Amino acid sequence: MKQFFAAVCALCFCIAVVNAQTKLPPVDKSPMDMSYYPNGYPVSKIQDKPTEPMMARVIFSRPQKNGRTIFGDLLEYGKVWRLGANEATEIEFFQNVKINNTKIKKGRYTMYCIPYADKWTIIINKETDTWGSFKYDTKKDVARIDVPVQKQTEITEAFVMAFDKSATGASLIIAWDDVKIIVPIVF
Amino acid sequence: MIKISVTSLAIISSAAVLFTSCTAVSNNNNSPVVVTRPVIEPANSYNPYVTVDKSPLDISYYPVNYPTQLMNGNDSATLLARVIYSRPQKNGRTIFGNEAPPKCVQQYGTYWRLGANEATEIEFFKPVTIEGKKIARGRYIIYCIPFENKWTIVLNTNLFSWGLHPDTTKDLAKIDIPAEKTEKSIEYFTMVFQQSTTGAYLLMAWDNAKAVLPISF
Repeated sequence: MKQFFAAVCALCFCIAVVNAQTKLPPVDKSPMDMSYYPNGYPVSKIQDKPTEPMMARVIFSRPQKNGRTIFGDLLEYGKVWRLGANEATEIEFFQNVKINNTKIKKGRYTMYCIPYADKWTIIINKETDTWGSFKYDTKKDVARIDVPVQKQTEITEAFVMAFDKSATGASLIIAWDDVKIIVPIVF
Repeated sequence: MIKISVTSLAIISSAAVLFTSCTAVSNNNNSPVVVTRPVIEPANSYNPYVTVDKSPLDISYYPVNYPTQLMNGNDSATLLARVIYSRPQKNGRTIFGNEAPPKCVQQYGTYWRLGANEATEIEFFKPVTIEGKKIARGRYIIYCIPFENKWTIVLNTNLFSWGLHPDTTKDLAKIDIPAEKTEKSIEYFTMVFQQSTTGAYLLMAWDNAKAVLPISF
């Protein structure tokens, strides 16, 4: 009987181990994405025709509107937001840049935002590989910039960040729901 | 009798709704789709900048879930590795096999980017040893040549490249690891770290195949 009990225990343990081993992470509801400046850099790299060196890359998650009102409702005005979902959004500069006249050294940063009805405060912070804005620490800020909110007539369903060429470097376009903002980056 | 027809009408109309929504998905992606999850982006959604990837990007950390550990106040955890990869789906196809596409998505003995889109990126935050090979701290791309019984895993320095073909002159290390069959088919390609006695395993699995790369820290 004792042996039988031990055997049952061992079997249960094996099943638990197998279950633990086969449990793989599901696909995120808010999938991750990457954007580059210059746009589509990896493709032009393997075709040996990049027009400019790689300047920046942003890694962000893409929550969807799903019929909700995003700004001023799902996201409270005046509260720090991780600019996406899941892990804090990461931006990497491959050379020194300037945002709002603040010099930012080449390297990896997290990016946050404080949304308001008419402007967003965009924050560049040193603490990388963190989750959300829960551990956001103003002491680790490297730059802040206020940018005006532009209303879009059409709705952007999935949160998006993408680079565009500008006269002084690049514009980082950030859009979700009926709102769009542009962060000017000077190279 | 009337009651029955009302019920069957309800069944027919719900089937019609189902059919319509499936059709919308097929049109959107321009290929037959097996819907196993909620559709990421409705067909009518406006997205003028970048559409959402069919094979979404994902990130895995070692220690597992490092960012959430950090958030929960576990400051003692040290970040050791992370991998950024895309997650293609099986979608009813045969993934691994001897035959060339389209019969098999990934033919044995041919280059595979371990995902989709960009080359898969792996970063070690301290020097590591993989199967006796010392790898310096830093960022690499990682790709694979799968066979039925083994996968050849390659670390390469050609960063920020699209995963269509590798620049083999930039190969840094080649490691053969055994490939195993999984009991159940895995729909989404997955890369995830697991703790081991000497460091971590990087587990890679898709369809009915899985392989484990041992990494010592």
